[in-house]
Amino acid sequence: MTATAERPSKTIFRRPETTEGFWSWITTVDHKKIGIMYGYAAFVFFIIGGLEALLLRIQLAGPNGDFLTAAEYNAMFSTHGLTMIFLFVMPVSAAFMNYLLPLMVGARDVAFPRMNALSWWIFLFGALFTYSVIFFGDVTPPLGVEGVPGNIDPSEQTLLGGLPDGGWFLYQPNAGPDFSPGTAVDFALLGLQILGIASLISSVNFIVTVFNMRAKGMRLLRMPVFIWMTLVVAFLLLFSLPIIAVALFMGTFDRAFGTLFFQAAGGGDPILWQHLFWLFGHPEVYILILPAMGIVSEVLPVFSRKPLFGYAAIVFAGGGIAFLGFGVWAHHMFASALTPVAQAAFGLSTMTIAIPTGIKIFNWLATMWGGRIRFTTPMLFAIGFVAMFVIGGLSGVTHSVVPSDWQQTDTYYIVAHFHYVLFGGSIFGIFAGLYYWFPKLTGRMMNEALGKTHFWIQFIGFNLTFAPMHWLGLQGMVRRTWRYAPETNFGPWNLAVTIGAFTIALGILVFMFNWTWSKRKGVPSGLDPWDARTIEWTIPNPTPHYNFADNPHVTSLDHFWHMKYDEDDEGRAVRKDNADEIVAQLDYDGKNPKAPIHLPNPSYFPILMAAGLPLIAYGIIYHQGLAGKLLIAIGAVITIGSLLGWGMEPLEEPHDGGGDHAEEMAEAH
Amino acid sequence: MADVIEAAETHAEDHGGHGEHESFGIDNRKLGMWLFLSSEFLFFGALITNYMVYGNDTFGATVVPREIYDIPFTSVSSFVLLMSSLTMVLAHHSLATGDQNGTRTWLLATALLGSIFLGGQVFEFYEFINVYGMTLTTNPASSAFFMLTGFHGVHVAIGVIMLMSLFGMSRRQGGLSEGHGMNLELVGLYWHFVDIIWIVIFTIVYLLGAV
Amino acid sequence: MTDEAHHAPHPTTGQYVKIAIVLAVVTAVEVALFYIDEAVDMAGWDGPLLIILSFFKFVVVIGWFMHLRFEKPLLSRFFAGGFILALSLYGIVVGSFLVGLITR
Repeated sequence: MTATAERPSKTIFRRPETTEGFWSWITTVDHKKIGIMYGYAAFVFFIIGGLEALLLRIQLAGPNGDFLTAAEYNAMFSTHGLTMIFLFVMPVSAAFMNYLLPLMVGARDVAFPRMNALSWWIFLFGALFTYSVIFFGDVTPPLGVEGVPGNIDPSEQTLLGGLPDGGWFLYQPNAGPDFSPGTAVDFALLGLQILGIASLISSVNFIVTVFNMRAKGMRLLRMPVFIWMTLVVAFLLLFSLPIIAVALFMGTFDRAFGTLFFQAAGGGDPILWQHLFWLFGHPEVYILILPAMGIVSEVLPVFSRKPLFGYAAIVFAGGGIAFLGFGVWAHHMFASALTPVAQAAFGLSTMTIAIPTGIKIFNWLATMWGGRIRFTTPMLFAIGFVAMFVIGGLSGVTHSVVPSDWQQTDTYYIVAHFHYVLFGGSIFGIFAGLYYWFPKLTGRMMNEALGKTHFWIQFIGFNLTFAPMHWLGLQGMVRRTWRYAPETNFGPWNLAVTIGAFTIALGILVFMFNWTWSKRKGVPSGLDPWDARTIEWTIPNPTPHYNFADNPHVTSLDHFWHMKYDEDDEGRAVRKDNADEIVAQLDYDGKNPKAPIHLPNPSYFPILMAAGLPLIAYGIIYHQGLAGKLLIAIGAVITIGSLLGWGMEPLEEPHDGGGDHAEEMAEAH
Repeated sequence: MADVIEAAETHAEDHGGHGEHESFGIDNRKLGMWLFLSSEFLFFGALITNYMVYGNDTFGATVVPREIYDIPFTSVSSFVLLMSSLTMVLAHHSLATGDQNGTRTWLLATALLGSIFLGGQVFEFYEFINVYGMTLTTNPASSAFFMLTGFHGVHVAIGVIMLMSLFGMSRRQGGLSEGHGMNLELVGLYWHFVDIIWIVIFTIVYLLGAV
Repeated sequence: MTDEAHHAPHPTTGQYVKIAIVLAVVTAVEVALFYIDEAVDMAGWDGPLLIILSFFKFVVVIGWFMHLRFEKPLLSRFFAGGFILALSLYGIVVGSFLVGLITR
């Protein structure tokens, strides 16, 4: 209760500066700081993953490229995939969720602030562990293929060639001990394991927050769509991560301890890896796209100046996508030994995914239809999202037709498809969100002219990069192959693709300049720069560290918009007053009950506990030596010790009003 | 689905007197623990699947798990773990009635029974490895067996550590407070969950797998 | 799981002991079934019987020892959701391997 203070008086909105400086970031349990750290870390990995992609494109710009060796090429496409999925899109979604979830449901923090910090530190250490492969990883020639041209000669191993090279799906037995000796793949397996723990913790945290921390009157069907999508994603994570955890353990055990799960030579069955991986992997693609869908569902109504068309339909379609998403995993395995009945069944279930997705698309279009659209940067990205996602979605439907899929498997057509949904989809949605909520973060606007420049460069570059991949794929250009012959005539389109990739990079540079410039010199945003609809805009920009001075009382969907507008006799919206006046009046009309502000205490235990996990992982890789065994022991002691310390740390109030919990508990017993 | 949400909402309204928040009226930590445990079904499910796929995969090796199970021995250790659930629930019950000494006794008893179960598992592994020569790497069936029962054992061990720290806290502070009482309830949920997973393992792996 | 169940008093120590005795007896029956099947072949009937008995134990521990009977129905839904999801997903995976074995 040490952080308890009375509600600040009208004139003093700043509490004492206990919340700044280096240590405040290390020990913070504030969801906003955690969200910001998630965001910046994810962006660093976005740049790294992007550079890896550029290396790939230089290699493929012309036939018989010799910029990368085959080993380096394998390592680059594998780490590009791993980085973009696990170290960029997932954490940047976590950044949005962390920052916005409490603000949008009207709470002062998430349900478990310390666990929130724990999941962030586990993510960071897991990511650093994974990339530490660049210093420690090594690759030795697979059994029986020494001396194959372009393959690895240990004496000539390059920096990049020592990275994991088994693809992001780490198919077995290719990523097993026989065909990927050395430690590189171990880093990928164990790194993903650690990252999975981080996501599992935050999924529990977010579900409990959505269920138990909503402001008065914020009933489930009044929650913003982004919060609904957060909830759905949290459930997807909760139920899919344990599956990949087991698969990763099995892969690690095969490599480190000689088990025979996937080693065909020892009686194992590689198909089991495919089942377990895609049981996780398909829900995973919805984990990547649904947050972006949530962001777009927030941005489109604001700039169309209309309520979201079919709110409930969009919400339930999101849930439907998640539910169906668990039943389609085998469509990634049509080229494996599935029985015809299973192929037909999974083809059908895959087609049904198009129904809820189509519902969403039509609702977004109907939201824009007849609206007075403002083409601001976030709106451009949101519209870009809808358009690009439709293309990616349609090429996805073609994969559900099994014979057609056999033609497309392992060609660039697949690469084109998933970049249209993940880049054209997720990343365009993420940029829409970054431009839209930037004022919330900084109190300033991002430069619109630069923003629009960024959008058009990225939009053109994106289509130049990925549209030709459809044609290349249908002409038979295969994925994951480091060279193509001149006779194939793949050269010209590949050159176009490479130019497109560098165009995207240019767009990202414009964005980075805009971000850093606007943070310092951007136009101050005021309270409500976009004429927004949701309650996170009723509090000052940048967000005060206690979020809401008074607990909001929500009476409708799009609560803030209804505070600002009335309906006239003809059903048209009429502005009541400017936003600052309306928000200032809230204090007087009793809508927002006053309550003392309790904020959770900072803690050292999250970062300590997280620090133990990579030590254990290093120990497993080097378990044959004494050092490895020592590392496992030290890591376990740190983790379990800080768990105990955590448990014995004086009980603190988990959130505002949390003092009631003791009483509830007493009643419950 | 809409009616499910409506039903939940009505529930939330019933408990409207809940501070300043809409909520389902379930303690945060308890809700979190139940969510975690429901995801653990997927974790152990994958391990059991693994065993079911590979259980008959001898791959030419002379020894497979299902032929060397010591059913009487495992029955006893299953019984021990089952009874530890009883002592756990009695610890919780004692705390609810304010009997701190009873709580400590039952906590200790639970940790002891858990340790006996773990000791049994260590003995079983020792026998399999040294007497029958079946190790982690003998064949996929043995890999799957050790993986499944080993991860269950790790869960039991974590449970024992948590029980012992509750016991230690209770000794040091002269009893567990209401706040800690919640912790005891969470540890209890975890402990019972580990028990029900063993109920499934005992039947599927030992009794059915050995047929 | 009605609202009355939620407000019903928790079991007493004696009732907990009785529940544990029932669980122990069911375990004994399971082990007995195993030996009966060894002695006289039960023609495949032992499998379903064993699964039903262990499911009974499973439900009793969850319902009474974990107090799920006395909690809000929401918790049961989540828990059942995880269980049913695991059962159906892994059922399909194991099933596909069994079919593979038969057709191989």
